[in-house]
Amino acid sequence: MAGRGGAQWPNGAAQGKICQFKLVLLGESAVGKSSLVLRFVKGQFHEYQESTIGAAFLTQTVCLDDTTVKFEIWDTAGQERYHSLAPMYYRGAQAAIVVYDITNQDTFGRAKTWVKELQRQASPNIVIALAGNKADLANKRMVEYDEAQAYAEENSLLFMETSAKTAMNVNDIFLAIAKKLPKSEQGQASQPRQRGVDLNEQNQSSSGGCCKS
Amino acid sequence: MMSRRSSKKGFHVDESDLMCKNGCGFYGNPGWQGYCSKCWRDYQKAKQVQPKTEQIASNRSKRLSQMGSGETAPSFSKFEERKKQQSEKRKNTVKSIFNRSSKESSPSNTPPKKDPVAKRVSVESQQVGGEFAEFLKKLRKTTALDISKQVRAFIEKIQVFADSPVEELSEMVQDFYQIITDRINTLPVYKGMDQNTIDTLMDFIEKYILTRIYRIVFCPVTTTDEEDDLAIQNRIRSLHWITREQIDCKIYENDAESSQLLETAITDIIQMDSKRAPQDKLASIVQCCNHIFELLRKSTDGPASADDFLPALIYVVLKANPPLLQSNIQYITRFANPTRLMSGEAGYFFTNLCCVVSFIQNISAESLDLTQKDFDKYMSGEAVPHTSHNAYMCDGLRLMYQNLSTLTELRQRHEKLMAEALQLQQDMVEFKDSFKNEIDTVLERNPWTLRPRKSKADIDAENSDTELLPSPLKPEVLHPVGQ
Repeated sequence: MAGRGGAQWPNGAAQGKICQFKLVLLGESAVGKSSLVLRFVKGQFHEYQESTIGAAFLTQTVCLDDTTVKFEIWDTAGQERYHSLAPMYYRGAQAAIVVYDITNQDTFGRAKTWVKELQRQASPNIVIALAGNKADLANKRMVEYDEAQAYAEENSLLFMETSAKTAMNVNDIFLAIAKKLPKSEQGQASQPRQRGVDLNEQNQSSSGGCCKS
Repeated sequence: MMSRRSSKKGFHVDESDLMCKNGCGFYGNPGWQGYCSKCWRDYQKAKQVQPKTEQIASNRSKRLSQMGSGETAPSFSKFEERKKQQSEKRKNTVKSIFNRSSKESSPSNTPPKKDPVAKRVSVESQQVGGEFAEFLKKLRKTTALDISKQVRAFIEKIQVFADSPVEELSEMVQDFYQIITDRINTLPVYKGMDQNTIDTLMDFIEKYILTRIYRIVFCPVTTTDEEDDLAIQNRIRSLHWITREQIDCKIYENDAESSQLLETAITDIIQMDSKRAPQDKLASIVQCCNHIFELLRKSTDGPASADDFLPALIYVVLKANPPLLQSNIQYITRFANPTRLMSGEAGYFFTNLCCVVSFIQNISAESLDLTQKDFDKYMSGEAVPHTSHNAYMCDGLRLMYQNLSTLTELRQRHEKLMAEALQLQQDMVEFKDSFKNEIDTVLERNPWTLRPRKSKADIDAENSDTELLPSPLKPEVLHPVGQ
């Protein structure tokens, strides 16, 4: 894995480009969202270090040619009752991974709702990846690879079957996202903003989000 | 907020001014130009209905150019005069509040401060001001001078605009962050500063400005923040019955350490209100969340995910019922440097807090998997779900419950003892009865009758046998030798 633990920012000195992206994780609870991220960020599965207390917010840096991509990974609560809060999380996100469990058809159905919602409500350029997790449990498979693949193609999503347990495709899916993300000035957090945030718009959406909705 | 109102009250002298200017019969408030709260809002609304959008747009561009150049271009009529005076004054008496930093360069130019603005500086502001000045000392003098000049001018300006709608104030502050960033990137005075120093500088500017203008911008009268605060507070109060199970919360306080952590998390979130700068408020949120993660580590295997974290945060907020929650959230949204909120750990946790508030406001029977009937019952206080055994409580209450359960156990034991004693008594009675019965039956079976003796046994009677016996010994009387 490229750049593990090397999340340092070369201060000011431009060593290639540094892009920072916000990535949200969506999916039913218990499909292994956090296991996937922990595998990607810490290389761990079930053998957690003492230092890792939370897997809700993590960052990881990957190197891509001359660009350093820093992922800021925001986990969301997957329970149905918290579904309506999701827009507050994916607001301003440049990427999303929608996770389902290949041994559970319902989670795939939920994943489709997430994709639809993202396409309708998230920022238009958001890169969406579909991850069929728990690929190591292929003998209990309920969601066929071809079915998911066809769905992903239809909706132009990145698609991979992953396994947090065996680490299969875990880094690959993040790398694929990194490749697809636009590495323009806008994505660069180290660059100063061109202009102040348009608060007329921003403020309303945020206050509407947390208070009036 | 209250203090702001009262300080404004100090200005008014005339008794008749007490009533609302509109003559509606309610008391007016000098802070609202003599209107009562209702008429004041109407008045404000009426004022805002006017071509507001264009006005804002033009105001903003003007403000941008003004602040950028540090000069006053006469702007929209309303504030023109006041502002001119202000800038005039500023030019004549550029007394930096960071005098300490500029002292060395111009020792003669520091007359004793008699500025009315400076006089009102609070303890918090003085402290932050001191830290800021310390930091500025480390920079080049020209840089420090420019920064302090900008900041000072901006604070004065905000104080002039104090009565504007909060959206405009927010815009002014956000514009100011941008202006400073632009200056740092373009002006030669700022050349050669590394990113860390710039970040710290921006941090200090944000902290200092907002600490200074806190009273103006936190929960301003022109907004409904105060009502929203009360609404959420009452809402949380009416939801006191929510149990962990109903929101999938997986924190337990089986031991002293866990309940200690939970209490710390609750204190953290309550403390947010006592902080002034947005980053300090955010730090309180982050601290609270970290304590929640520590708490979750005990009940979940492996690092906690958002599935566990969000419910736990909801639970903590419900139990804490933090003061002025909406005001604080609004304040942070309006005035914090937006980079803080859109990214980073603090941004994530802040988003979570906003989600929690949204969830609490929209909580329904459905979101708790209850029937509407049960939900209404719980809300009206008719019924209480019976899972209080693991509900959060304070030390005293916990001790009480502990004692109560001990007493219950004691009572049970006592009752058992009583029952056993009664049983014993019963057994004894039964034993006695059965014993008696048995004896009776035996007696019945073997009745014994007193038969008359066959021969009379008269011990003292004379009979022939006694004659065969030797005669009884007779006491021998011994005479003393001497007689």
